[in-house]
Amino acid sequence: MTGGNFSLPHGNSPPPLAGEGQGGGSAGTAGYYDYPVVRRPVWTWEVPAYFWLGGLGAGAFVTASLAQTFGSADDRRIAADGFYVAAAALLPCAPLLIGDLGRPERFHHMLRIFKPLSPMNLGAWTLTGFTPLAFARAGLHAADTGLLRGPLRALVGLVPRRLTELTGCLLGLTLAGYSGVLLGATNVPLWAKSRLLGGVFMASALSSGSAAVTLQAARRGAPEATLHRLATVESAASLGEMAILTGYLVQSGKAARPLTTGRFAPPFWLGAVFAGGLLPLLLHGFARRGHSRTVRSLSTAAAMCSMIGSLALRWSIFEAGKDSSEDQSASFDLSKAGENLGGCGSSI
Amino acid sequence: MIDGYKRLMNLEEPPPPKKAKGFFTDTSLCIGCKACEVACKQWNQLPADGFAITGNSYDNTGHLGATTWRHVQFIEQAKANGSRQEQRWLMMSDVCKHCANAACLEACPTGALVRTEFDTVYVQQDICNGCGFCVPACPFGVIDRVPKESTFEVGTAHKCTLCYDRLKDDMTPACAKSCPTASIQFGDVEELQQRARQRLGELKARGESTARLYGMPEGKEAAEVGPLHAFFLLLDKPEAYNLPEVPRLPRKTMAERYGWSAAVGIGFAMVAALVFRGGRQ
Ligand code: SF4
Ligand code: SF4
Ligand code: SF4
Repeated sequence: MTGGNFSLPHGNSPPPLAGEGQGGGSAGTAGYYDYPVVRRPVWTWEVPAYFWLGGLGAGAFVTASLAQTFGSADDRRIAADGFYVAAAALLPCAPLLIGDLGRPERFHHMLRIFKPLSPMNLGAWTLTGFTPLAFARAGLHAADTGLLRGPLRALVGLVPRRLTELTGCLLGLTLAGYSGVLLGATNVPLWAKSRLLGGVFMASALSSGSAAVTLQAARRGAPEATLHRLATVESAASLGEMAILTGYLVQSGKAARPLTTGRFAPPFWLGAVFAGGLLPLLLHGFARRGHSRTVRSLSTAAAMCSMIGSLALRWSIFEAGKDSSEDQSASFDLSKAGENLGGCGSSI
Repeated sequence: MIDGYKRLMNLEEPPPPKKAKGFFTDTSLCIGCKACEVACKQWNQLPADGFAITGNSYDNTGHLGATTWRHVQFIEQAKANGSRQEQRWLMMSDVCKHCANAACLEACPTGALVRTEFDTVYVQQDICNGCGFCVPACPFGVIDRVPKESTFEVGTAHKCTLCYDRLKDDMTPACAKSCPTASIQFGDVEELQQRARQRLGELKARGESTARLYGMPEGKEAAEVGPLHAFFLLLDKPEAYNLPEVPRLPRKTMAERYGWSAAVGIGFAMVAALVFRGGRQ
């Protein structure tokens, strides 16, 4: 232990702290020695992996659905591959979510009640509802392209296209955003201090999801105009992500230190901000001016950066949050009188 | 069929409510004997936490956790060159606060955390699936999940039950029963609150100017989490005992958080719709 934590009544004891109270005899902290105020979250890597894949799948589904409703024939055909991406990304989600539980065999207890007040409960229901919808819509796409034949095709034909897309979009957007709200609905300073984390995760999900659709389009040799439109959609999401992330960091202030200066600073700045936000914007900008060969490779590179950056964002914020939970003074700041009052959410 | 579903999902009718029970922990009486820690471990058959010397006064427990539901703090307040009378050694037996608006309970997605008929907060061990959400939700750092490699109730969340099993039989909780100085007082919450106000008055009259109550309905610490059914008489600022000034209830800001998330999603959908539509002409 550090010597400063034990102060003797006589001799070289540390100078008294200001105010009536001195901490637990420790040098410099206002609290009880250097013990944390809140408990360290017990979650492991499965959680950020699930948040990333769930968000990516949801973003791809939403992008593909919007293209079906508003896009040209080319856009519709190309973007529909997003439904495959969504199904593939959602496949490992439930196993990841279940694997992180202390008692995985009791996963279904999440569904024994409906309690939207708990973001964890809401998320479990959303995943349960969204996964079959994403698979049904992917099945429809497979039937459209002749991949599915025979009785299976007839069965998939029963799926109502528009309704699946619409409800899928609503559930998908919930899945993309609830993860940030869930982390925010704790007492971990890095997650809870700013109220924008749900927005940050939403933007990251949409940028990585639309990037996955762009990537698939570039691979399939989509017409350049379609590729450009997908890149524009993806860049809009990246711009939004950088904007709301800035707001999040400013609002978090000192509470953001474990993320911005700690051991998770490299994955955050290099992975999430540079590779995940700035680089794709730059590459898509170059692609706009390039020839058709370079357009394809630049778009591919941009989309891959965006997807990896999105994983870096979830992972670094998640892991830095665990360190932040042990920051005693950040916890005291978070719970200072007046900190949590006001704001439009205080009346519920 | 409904009965079958209820059995499958362990949905029972709650028992009729009784008077709220709780603790008034008067830290001015605590002598740091740790009888409460030991009694709690014994009654609840909690495993030992290992043998570690922290170097922080007599506190080798550290903090509350999945297998430690009472924790005695030792706060040494030494003044440089002060007289002997100016040195203080504060002790406090910490425990789950059984908050009126409990963050852990609101977070729990399975309904494992319930409010009992005694208005206490209780984890049903057969329901908890160890999702771990209650752990960072509690503003006091009380509840914790047992590691998956433990030998004790693997993987589920634990905290003080306010001796629910003993209350059912009209018995006093083990920790309060074992406390030799009546620092831990058990009883009806309303009556305990009266007693606490009176005790504070006595101490103030004797010149204990820094004494205060923490967790009373009128205190600012009750602004969000409500009155604490296990509340305290402290001899210093709450922070000295690692207690937050105004413990936060995550629910209070949740609507705003969802709002920002939805705003980003809707904004994206509008931009994407415009971009795709532009390609139609
Ligand atoms: S102190 Fe923490 S664990 Fe105890 S009831 Fe309150 S929120 Fe729950
Ligand atoms: S760990 Fe158990 S008690 Fe805690 S929130 Fe999850 S299901 Fe509820
Ligand atoms: S009430 Fe029972 S479970 Fe809670 S701290 Fe006391 S002895 Fe332990």
